[in-house]
Amino acid sequence: MNHRWDFASVLDNTDALLAGAAGTLRIFAICIVAGLALGLVIGLGRTSQRRWIHWPASAFVEFFRNTPVLVQILWFYFALPMLVPFSINPLGAAALGISLNSAAFTAEIVRGGIQSIDPGQWDGARAIGMGWGQAMRRIILPQALKRMTPALTNRAIEIFKMSTLASTVAYVELLQQGKLIASINYNPIEAYTAVAVIFFIVLWPMVQATYALERRLRRDE
Amino acid sequence: MYRWDFTPVLANWPLLAQGLVNTLKVTSTSLVFGLALGLVLALLRLSPRPVLSWPAGFVIEVFRTTPPLVQLFWFFFALPLLIGVEMTPFIAAVVTLSIQSAAFFAEVFRGGIVSIERGQWEAAKAVGMDRRQTLHRIVLPQAVKRMIPAFMERSIELMKTTTLVATISYADLLFAANEISQKTFRPLETLTVAALIYFVVIFAFSLAMRQVERRLAVTGETTVRR
Repeated sequence: MNHRWDFASVLDNTDALLAGAAGTLRIFAICIVAGLALGLVIGLGRTSQRRWIHWPASAFVEFFRNTPVLVQILWFYFALPMLVPFSINPLGAAALGISLNSAAFTAEIVRGGIQSIDPGQWDGARAIGMGWGQAMRRIILPQALKRMTPALTNRAIEIFKMSTLASTVAYVELLQQGKLIASINYNPIEAYTAVAVIFFIVLWPMVQATYALERRLRRDE
Repeated sequence: MYRWDFTPVLANWPLLAQGLVNTLKVTSTSLVFGLALGLVLALLRLSPRPVLSWPAGFVIEVFRTTPPLVQLFWFFFALPLLIGVEMTPFIAAVVTLSIQSAAFFAEVFRGGIVSIERGQWEAAKAVGMDRRQTLHRIVLPQAVKRMIPAFMERSIELMKTTTLVATISYADLLFAANEISQKTFRPLETLTVAALIYFVVIFAFSLAMRQVERRLAVTGETTVRR
Protein backbone atom coordinates (compact mmCIF):
# COMPACT_ATOMS: atom_id res chain seq x y z
CA MET A 1 0.00 0.00 0.00
CA ASN A 2 2.95 2.36 -0.36
CA HIS A 3 2.24 3.37 -3.92
CA ARG A 4 2.95 7.04 -4.57
CA TRP A 5 0.05 8.38 -6.59
CA ASP A 6 1.24 10.56 -9.42
CA PHE A 7 -1.43 11.99 -11.67
CA ALA A 8 1.03 14.30 -13.43
CA SER A 9 1.77 11.52 -15.94
CA VAL A 10 -1.93 11.39 -16.78
CA LEU A 11 -2.37 15.16 -16.93
CA ASP A 12 0.56 15.36 -19.37
CA ASN A 13 -1.67 13.43 -21.78
CA THR A 14 -4.72 15.66 -21.56
CA ASP A 15 -4.77 15.89 -25.36
CA ALA A 16 -5.12 12.13 -25.67
CA LEU A 17 -7.91 12.09 -23.09
CA LEU A 18 -9.72 14.92 -24.86
CA ALA A 19 -9.52 13.00 -28.14
CA GLY A 20 -10.94 10.01 -26.28
CA ALA A 21 -13.73 12.10 -24.77
CA ALA A 22 -14.63 13.36 -28.25
CA GLY A 23 -14.75 9.77 -29.50
CA THR A 24 -16.95 8.70 -26.58
CA LEU A 25 -19.34 11.60 -27.18
CA ARG A 26 -19.49 10.89 -30.92
CA ILE A 27 -20.43 7.23 -30.52
CA PHE A 28 -22.83 8.10 -27.68
CA ALA A 29 -24.62 10.65 -29.88
CA ILE A 30 -24.91 8.23 -32.82
CA CYS A 31 -26.16 5.35 -30.69
CA ILE A 32 -28.67 7.36 -28.69
CA VAL A 33 -30.30 8.84 -31.81
CA ALA A 34 -30.24 5.58 -33.80
CA GLY A 35 -31.14 3.39 -30.82
CA LEU A 36 -34.10 5.49 -29.65
CA ALA A 37 -35.49 6.10 -33.15
CA LEU A 38 -35.26 2.45 -34.18
CA GLY A 39 -36.53 1.39 -30.76
CA LEU A 40 -39.62 3.57 -31.18
CA VAL A 41 -40.40 2.04 -34.59
CA ILE A 42 -39.85 -1.53 -33.40
CA GLY A 43 -41.77 -0.91 -30.18
CA LEU A 44 -44.74 0.34 -32.21
CA GLY A 45 -44.32 -2.71 -34.45
CA ARG A 46 -44.59 -5.00 -31.43
CA THR A 47 -47.93 -3.51 -30.45
CA SER A 48 -49.30 -4.08 -33.97
CA GLN A 49 -52.15 -6.56 -34.49
CA ARG A 50 -50.80 -7.63 -37.87
CA ARG A 51 -48.68 -10.72 -37.60
CA TRP A 52 -46.22 -9.84 -40.37
CA ILE A 53 -45.29 -6.65 -38.49
CA HIS A 54 -45.55 -8.02 -34.98
CA TRP A 55 -43.53 -11.16 -35.59
CA PRO A 56 -40.28 -9.72 -37.07
CA ALA A 57 -40.31 -6.95 -34.46
CA SER A 58 -40.56 -9.53 -31.66
CA ALA A 59 -37.84 -11.71 -33.17
CA PHE A 60 -35.52 -8.69 -33.39
CA VAL A 61 -36.19 -7.72 -29.77
CA GLU A 62 -35.70 -11.25 -28.43
CA PHE A 63 -32.51 -11.82 -30.37
CA PHE A 64 -30.80 -8.57 -29.45
CA ARG A 65 -31.95 -8.62 -25.83
CA ASN A 66 -30.75 -12.16 -25.29
CA THR A 67 -27.24 -11.94 -26.73
CA PRO A 68 -24.35 -10.01 -25.16
CA VAL A 69 -23.65 -6.66 -26.81
CA LEU A 70 -19.92 -7.42 -27.00
CA VAL A 71 -20.64 -10.48 -29.13
CA GLN A 72 -22.75 -8.30 -31.41
CA ILE A 73 -19.98 -5.70 -31.78
CA LEU A 74 -17.36 -8.34 -32.60
CA TRP A 75 -19.76 -9.99 -35.02
CA PHE A 76 -20.28 -6.73 -36.91
CA TYR A 77 -16.54 -6.06 -36.91
CA PHE A 78 -15.11 -9.47 -37.82
CA ALA A 79 -17.99 -11.46 -39.32
CA LEU A 80 -20.15 -8.99 -41.26
CA PRO A 81 -17.33 -7.88 -43.65
CA MET A 82 -17.31 -11.47 -44.98
CA LEU A 83 -20.91 -11.03 -46.14
CA VAL A 84 -20.91 -7.48 -47.48
CA PRO A 85 -18.70 -6.01 -50.22
CA PHE A 86 -17.48 -3.06 -48.13
CA SER A 87 -15.21 -2.86 -45.09
CA ILE A 88 -16.50 -1.82 -41.67
CA ASN A 89 -14.51 0.55 -39.47
CA PRO A 90 -14.38 0.28 -35.66
CA LEU A 91 -16.87 3.12 -35.17
CA GLY A 92 -19.34 1.52 -37.60
CA ALA A 93 -19.16 -1.91 -35.97
CA ALA A 94 -19.41 -0.61 -32.41
CA ALA A 95 -22.20 1.85 -33.26
CA LEU A 96 -24.17 -0.88 -35.06
CA GLY A 97 -23.88 -3.28 -32.13
CA ILE A 98 -24.74 -0.74 -29.44
CA SER A 99 -27.55 0.91 -31.46
CA LEU A 100 -29.31 -2.34 -32.34
CA ASN A 101 -28.95 -3.62 -28.77
CA SER A 102 -30.35 -0.36 -27.37
CA ALA A 103 -33.14 -0.38 -29.95
CA ALA A 104 -34.27 -3.77 -28.65
CA PHE A 105 -34.36 -2.56 -25.03
CA THR A 106 -35.98 0.75 -26.04
CA ALA A 107 -38.65 -1.14 -28.00
CA GLU A 108 -39.68 -2.93 -24.80
CA ILE A 109 -39.86 0.39 -22.94
CA VAL A 110 -42.02 1.85 -25.74
CA ARG A 111 -44.29 -1.18 -25.77
CA GLY A 112 -44.68 -1.08 -21.98
CA GLY A 113 -45.41 2.64 -22.10
CA ILE A 114 -48.06 2.32 -24.80
CA GLN A 115 -49.73 -0.67 -23.17
CA SER A 116 -49.87 1.15 -19.82
CA ILE A 117 -52.24 3.75 -21.31
CA ASP A 118 -55.87 3.11 -20.44
CA PRO A 119 -57.84 1.57 -23.38
CA GLY A 120 -60.49 4.23 -22.81
CA GLN A 121 -58.09 6.74 -24.35
CA TRP A 122 -58.14 4.76 -27.60
CA ASP A 123 -61.91 4.51 -27.49
CA GLY A 124 -62.21 8.23 -26.86
CA ALA A 125 -59.89 9.07 -29.76
CA ARG A 126 -61.84 6.78 -32.09
CA ALA A 127 -65.15 8.25 -30.93
CA ILE A 128 -64.12 11.70 -32.15
CA GLY A 129 -63.03 10.23 -35.48
CA MET A 130 -59.26 9.78 -35.15
CA GLY A 131 -57.49 7.00 -37.05
CA TRP A 132 -54.77 4.79 -35.52
CA GLY A 133 -51.94 7.12 -36.55
CA GLN A 134 -53.63 10.24 -35.25
CA ALA A 135 -54.66 8.65 -31.97
CA MET A 136 -51.13 7.31 -31.45
CA ARG A 137 -49.44 10.60 -32.27
CA ARG A 138 -51.78 12.99 -30.51
CA ILE A 139 -53.26 11.02 -27.63
CA ILE A 140 -51.35 7.88 -26.71
CA LEU A 141 -47.65 8.66 -27.32
CA PRO A 142 -47.61 12.02 -25.50
CA GLN A 143 -48.98 10.36 -22.37
CA ALA A 144 -46.85 7.23 -22.76
CA LEU A 145 -43.66 9.23 -23.35
CA LYS A 146 -44.02 10.90 -19.97
CA ARG A 147 -44.18 7.53 -18.22
CA MET A 148 -41.28 6.24 -20.28
CA THR A 149 -38.89 9.09 -19.47
CA PRO A 150 -37.11 7.55 -16.45
CA ALA A 151 -36.61 4.26 -18.28
CA LEU A 152 -35.34 6.11 -21.35
CA THR A 153 -32.84 8.19 -19.38
CA ASN A 154 -31.66 4.94 -17.79
CA ARG A 155 -31.12 3.59 -21.30
CA ALA A 156 -29.07 6.68 -22.16
CA ILE A 157 -26.86 6.02 -19.13
CA GLU A 158 -26.46 2.39 -20.20
CA ILE A 159 -25.51 3.48 -23.73
CA PHE A 160 -22.87 5.82 -22.30
CA LYS A 161 -21.39 2.96 -20.28
CA MET A 162 -21.61 0.55 -23.21
CA SER A 163 -19.59 2.95 -25.39
CA THR A 164 -16.45 1.66 -23.60
CA LEU A 165 -16.94 -1.67 -25.40
CA ALA A 166 -15.90 0.09 -28.62
CA SER A 167 -12.35 -0.03 -27.25
CA THR A 168 -12.32 -3.79 -27.95
CA VAL A 169 -12.28 -3.02 -31.69
CA ALA A 170 -9.68 -0.25 -31.14
CA TYR A 171 -12.09 2.67 -31.59
CA VAL A 172 -10.55 5.79 -30.03
CA GLU A 173 -12.64 6.61 -26.96
CA LEU A 174 -11.87 7.31 -23.30
CA LEU A 175 -11.02 3.78 -22.17
CA GLN A 176 -8.92 3.14 -25.28
CA GLN A 177 -6.96 6.33 -24.56
CA GLY A 178 -6.59 5.25 -20.94
CA LYS A 179 -5.04 1.99 -22.17
CA LEU A 180 -2.72 3.96 -24.44
CA ILE A 181 -1.58 6.28 -21.65
CA ALA A 182 -1.08 3.33 -19.29
CA SER A 183 1.08 1.48 -21.81
CA ILE A 184 3.24 4.51 -22.68
CA ASN A 185 3.81 5.79 -19.15
CA TYR A 186 3.59 2.49 -17.21
CA ASN A 187 1.02 4.09 -14.93
CA PRO A 188 -2.06 1.82 -15.10
CA ILE A 189 -3.11 2.78 -11.56
CA GLU A 190 -3.43 6.47 -12.33
CA ALA A 191 -4.57 6.06 -15.95
CA TYR A 192 -7.47 3.69 -15.20
CA THR A 193 -8.43 5.55 -12.03
CA ALA A 194 -8.60 8.77 -14.07
CA VAL A 195 -10.83 7.12 -16.68
CA ALA A 196 -13.12 5.73 -13.97
CA VAL A 197 -13.34 9.13 -12.28
CA ILE A 198 -14.18 10.87 -15.58
CA PHE A 199 -17.03 8.44 -16.23
CA PHE A 200 -18.29 8.84 -12.68
CA ILE A 201 -18.25 12.65 -12.90
CA VAL A 202 -20.15 12.62 -16.20
CA LEU A 203 -22.70 9.94 -15.30
CA TRP A 204 -23.39 10.81 -11.66
CA PRO A 205 -25.53 13.90 -12.48
CA MET A 206 -27.40 11.89 -15.13
CA VAL A 207 -28.16 9.16 -12.59
CA GLN A 208 -29.31 11.71 -10.00
CA ALA A 209 -31.52 13.41 -12.59
CA THR A 210 -33.12 10.04 -13.35
CA TYR A 211 -33.85 9.45 -9.66
CA ALA A 212 -35.41 12.92 -9.43
CA LEU A 213 -37.53 12.23 -12.54
CA GLU A 214 -38.73 8.93 -11.07
CA ARG A 215 -39.70 10.61 -7.81
CA ARG A 216 -41.57 13.39 -9.58
CA LEU A 217 -43.43 10.97 -11.80
CA ARG A 218 -44.49 8.88 -8.80
CA ARG A 219 -45.83 12.03 -7.16
CA ASP A 220 -47.76 13.07 -10.27
CA GLU A 221 -49.45 9.72 -10.89
CA MET B 1 -21.41 -14.85 -52.80
CA TYR B 2 -19.89 -16.13 -49.58
CA ARG B 3 -19.80 -19.91 -49.16
CA TRP B 4 -20.69 -20.81 -45.58
CA ASP B 5 -18.70 -23.66 -44.09
CA PHE B 6 -19.30 -24.68 -40.51
CA THR B 7 -17.02 -27.76 -40.46
CA PRO B 8 -13.92 -25.92 -39.12
CA VAL B 9 -16.03 -24.54 -36.26
CA LEU B 10 -17.64 -27.86 -35.45
CA ALA B 11 -14.21 -29.54 -35.48
CA ASN B 12 -13.30 -27.21 -32.57
CA TRP B 13 -16.41 -27.86 -30.51
CA PRO B 14 -14.46 -28.99 -27.39
CA LEU B 15 -12.92 -25.51 -27.19
CA LEU B 16 -16.36 -23.89 -27.43
CA ALA B 17 -17.80 -26.29 -24.86
CA GLN B 18 -14.96 -25.52 -22.45
CA GLY B 19 -15.56 -21.81 -23.08
CA LEU B 20 -19.24 -22.18 -22.23
CA VAL B 21 -18.33 -24.05 -19.03
CA ASN B 22 -15.97 -21.22 -18.06
CA THR B 23 -18.65 -18.62 -18.82
CA LEU B 24 -21.07 -20.46 -16.54
CA LYS B 25 -18.35 -20.78 -13.89
CA VAL B 26 -17.69 -17.02 -13.79
CA THR B 27 -21.43 -16.29 -13.87
CA SER B 28 -22.33 -18.60 -11.00
CA THR B 29 -19.37 -17.65 -8.80
CA SER B 30 -20.05 -13.93 -9.28
CA LEU B 31 -23.75 -14.50 -8.69
CA VAL B 32 -23.18 -16.17 -5.31
CA PHE B 33 -20.72 -13.52 -4.09
CA GLY B 34 -22.75 -10.73 -5.68
CA LEU B 35 -25.97 -11.75 -3.91
CA ALA B 36 -24.28 -12.09 -0.52
CA LEU B 37 -22.39 -8.82 -0.83
CA GLY B 38 -25.50 -7.14 -2.25
CA LEU B 39 -27.55 -8.06 0.82
CA VAL B 40 -24.79 -6.75 3.12
CA LEU B 41 -24.55 -3.49 1.14
CA ALA B 42 -28.34 -3.04 1.21
CA LEU B 43 -28.53 -3.58 4.97
CA LEU B 44 -25.65 -1.18 5.55
CA ARG B 45 -27.26 1.42 3.33
CA LEU B 46 -30.55 1.13 5.22
CA SER B 47 -28.77 1.51 8.54
CA PRO B 48 -29.76 4.60 10.54
CA ARG B 49 -26.07 5.25 11.29
CA PRO B 50 -24.43 7.49 8.66
CA VAL B 51 -20.99 5.88 9.24
CA LEU B 52 -22.47 2.68 7.83
CA SER B 53 -25.01 3.94 5.30
CA TRP B 54 -22.77 6.54 3.69
CA PRO B 55 -19.84 4.31 2.58
CA ALA B 56 -22.29 1.62 1.41
CA GLY B 57 -24.14 4.21 -0.66
CA PHE B 58 -20.86 5.40 -2.12
CA VAL B 59 -19.78 1.91 -3.19
CA ILE B 60 -23.20 1.23 -4.72
CA GLU B 61 -23.24 4.50 -6.67
CA VAL B 62 -19.65 4.16 -7.93
CA PHE B 63 -20.17 0.64 -9.23
CA ARG B 64 -23.54 1.45 -10.75
CA THR B 65 -22.35 4.57 -12.57
CA THR B 66 -18.99 3.50 -13.99
CA PRO B 67 -18.72 1.17 -16.99
CA PRO B 68 -18.02 -2.46 -16.04
CA LEU B 69 -15.18 -2.70 -18.56
CA VAL B 70 -13.37 0.20 -16.85
CA GLN B 71 -13.85 -1.55 -13.50
CA LEU B 72 -12.50 -4.80 -14.90
CA PHE B 73 -9.38 -3.09 -16.29
CA TRP B 74 -8.88 -1.32 -12.99
CA PHE B 75 -9.07 -4.55 -10.99
CA PHE B 76 -6.88 -6.44 -13.45
CA PHE B 77 -4.19 -3.87 -14.33
CA ALA B 78 -4.22 -1.31 -11.51
CA LEU B 79 -5.15 -3.12 -8.29
CA PRO B 80 -2.38 -5.78 -8.40
CA LEU B 81 0.27 -3.02 -8.62
CA LEU B 82 -1.42 -1.04 -5.89
CA ILE B 83 -1.56 -3.82 -3.30
CA GLY B 84 1.22 -6.01 -4.66
CA VAL B 85 -0.65 -9.26 -5.29
CA GLU B 86 -0.80 -11.57 -8.27
CA MET B 87 -4.10 -11.36 -10.11
CA THR B 88 -5.33 -14.08 -12.44
CA PRO B 89 -7.94 -13.20 -15.07
CA PHE B 90 -10.44 -15.43 -13.28
CA ILE B 91 -10.00 -13.72 -9.92
CA ALA B 92 -10.11 -10.24 -11.48
CA ALA B 93 -13.28 -11.21 -13.35
CA VAL B 94 -15.01 -12.66 -10.30
CA VAL B 95 -14.01 -9.75 -8.02
CA THR B 96 -15.19 -7.14 -10.53
CA LEU B 97 -18.43 -8.83 -11.51
CA SER B 98 -19.27 -9.72 -7.89
CA ILE B 99 -18.93 -6.14 -6.69
CA GLN B 100 -20.57 -4.73 -9.81
CA SER B 101 -23.59 -7.01 -9.59
CA ALA B 102 -23.69 -6.58 -5.79
CA ALA B 103 -24.23 -2.84 -6.34
CA PHE B 104 -27.28 -3.63 -8.49
CA PHE B 105 -28.51 -6.45 -6.22
CA ALA B 106 -28.22 -4.10 -3.24
CA GLU B 107 -30.72 -1.74 -4.85
CA VAL B 108 -33.07 -4.67 -5.51
CA PHE B 109 -32.78 -5.80 -1.87
CA ARG B 110 -33.30 -2.25 -0.63
CA GLY B 111 -36.34 -1.74 -2.87
CA GLY B 112 -37.84 -5.00 -1.66
CA ILE B 113 -37.21 -4.27 2.04
CA VAL B 114 -38.57 -0.72 1.74
CA SER B 115 -41.69 -2.04 -0.04
CA ILE B 116 -42.76 -3.96 3.06
CA GLU B 117 -45.31 -1.93 5.02
CA ARG B 118 -44.27 -0.17 8.21
CA GLY B 119 -47.01 -2.03 10.06
CA GLN B 120 -44.99 -5.23 9.77
CA TRP B 121 -42.03 -3.61 11.55
CA GLU B 122 -44.30 -2.16 14.23
CA ALA B 123 -46.07 -5.45 14.82
CA ALA B 124 -42.74 -7.26 15.15
CA LYS B 125 -41.56 -4.64 17.62
CA ALA B 126 -44.81 -5.05 19.54
CA VAL B 127 -44.17 -8.75 20.05
CA GLY B 128 -40.67 -7.93 21.28
CA MET B 129 -38.45 -8.58 18.24
CA ASP B 130 -35.39 -6.44 17.68
CA ARG B 131 -34.29 -5.03 14.29
CA ARG B 132 -32.25 -8.08 13.33
CA GLN B 133 -34.99 -10.55 14.25
CA THR B 134 -37.64 -8.54 12.44
CA LEU B 135 -35.53 -8.39 9.32
CA HIS B 136 -34.65 -12.06 9.44
CA ARG B 137 -38.04 -13.51 10.37
CA ILE B 138 -40.64 -11.03 9.13
CA VAL B 139 -39.41 -8.61 6.48
CA LEU B 140 -36.90 -10.52 4.35
CA PRO B 141 -39.06 -13.63 3.79
CA GLN B 142 -41.81 -11.40 2.39
CA ALA B 143 -39.46 -9.07 0.52
CA VAL B 144 -37.45 -11.81 -1.20
CA LYS B 145 -40.51 -13.02 -3.06
CA ARG B 146 -41.17 -9.59 -4.52
CA MET B 147 -37.53 -9.33 -5.54
CA ILE B 148 -37.35 -12.59 -7.50
CA PRO B 149 -38.16 -11.15 -10.96
CA ALA B 150 -35.63 -8.33 -10.52
CA PHE B 151 -33.00 -10.82 -9.32
CA MET B 152 -33.46 -13.02 -12.32
CA GLU B 153 -33.22 -10.08 -14.69
CA ARG B 154 -29.99 -8.93 -13.05
CA SER B 155 -28.61 -12.48 -13.26
CA ILE B 156 -29.21 -12.50 -16.99
CA GLU B 157 -27.50 -9.11 -17.26
CA LEU B 158 -24.60 -10.56 -15.27
CA MET B 159 -24.25 -13.46 -17.65
CA LYS B 160 -24.12 -11.09 -20.62
CA THR B 161 -21.58 -8.92 -18.84
CA THR B 162 -19.26 -11.92 -18.36
CA THR B 163 -18.29 -11.62 -22.04
CA LEU B 164 -16.11 -8.66 -20.98
CA VAL B 165 -13.69 -11.07 -19.30
CA ALA B 166 -12.55 -12.17 -22.77
CA THR B 167 -10.75 -8.80 -22.98
CA ILE B 168 -8.41 -9.81 -20.14
CA SER B 169 -7.79 -13.21 -21.77
CA TYR B 170 -10.01 -15.37 -19.58
CA ALA B 171 -11.00 -18.34 -21.74
CA ASP B 172 -14.77 -17.85 -21.75
CA LEU B 173 -17.04 -18.69 -24.69
CA LEU B 174 -16.35 -15.42 -26.51
CA PHE B 175 -12.59 -15.78 -26.03
CA ALA B 176 -12.72 -19.37 -27.36
CA ALA B 177 -14.71 -18.18 -30.39
CA ASN B 178 -12.12 -15.50 -31.09
CA GLU B 179 -9.32 -18.06 -30.89
CA ILE B 180 -11.08 -20.42 -33.26
CA SER B 181 -11.90 -17.70 -35.77
CA GLN B 182 -8.26 -16.62 -35.88
CA LYS B 183 -7.06 -20.21 -36.20
CA THR B 184 -9.52 -21.26 -38.91
CA PHE B 185 -9.97 -17.89 -40.70
CA ARG B 186 -13.72 -18.41 -40.33
CA PRO B 187 -14.86 -15.42 -38.22
CA LEU B 188 -18.35 -15.37 -39.74
CA GLU B 189 -19.21 -18.97 -38.88
CA THR B 190 -17.46 -18.99 -35.50
CA LEU B 191 -18.93 -15.74 -34.18
CA THR B 192 -22.37 -16.68 -35.51
CA VAL B 193 -22.21 -20.00 -33.68
CA ALA B 194 -21.01 -18.27 -30.51
CA ALA B 195 -23.85 -15.72 -30.74
CA LEU B 196 -26.36 -18.55 -31.21
CA ILE B 197 -25.01 -20.46 -28.19
CA TYR B 198 -25.34 -17.32 -26.05
CA PHE B 199 -28.83 -16.76 -27.43
CA VAL B 200 -30.01 -20.30 -26.67
CA VAL B 201 -28.66 -20.27 -23.10
CA ILE B 202 -29.83 -16.75 -22.22
CA PHE B 203 -33.19 -17.09 -23.98
CA ALA B 204 -33.86 -20.30 -22.05
CA PHE B 205 -33.19 -18.40 -18.81
CA SER B 206 -35.45 -15.56 -19.98
CA LEU B 207 -38.31 -17.95 -20.74
CA ALA B 208 -37.91 -19.66 -17.37
CA MET B 209 -37.92 -16.22 -15.75
CA ARG B 210 -41.17 -15.23 -17.47
CA GLN B 211 -42.73 -18.48 -16.30
CA VAL B 212 -41.77 -17.77 -12.69
CA GLU B 213 -43.02 -14.18 -13.00
CA ARG B 214 -46.37 -15.40 -14.29
CA ARG B 215 -46.69 -17.85 -11.44
CA LEU B 216 -45.79 -15.16 -8.90
CA ALA B 217 -48.41 -12.88 -10.44
CA VAL B 218 -51.03 -15.61 -10.06
CA THR B 219 -50.26 -16.35 -6.42
CA GLY B 220 -50.19 -12.65 -5.60
CA GLU B 221 -48.41 -11.47 -2.49
CA THR B 222 -48.76 -14.56 -0.32
CA THR B 223 -45.57 -16.01 1.00
CA VAL B 224 -47.09 -19.30 2.12
CA ARG B 225 -45.05 -22.24 0.87
CA ARG B 226 -47.09 -24.96 -0.74
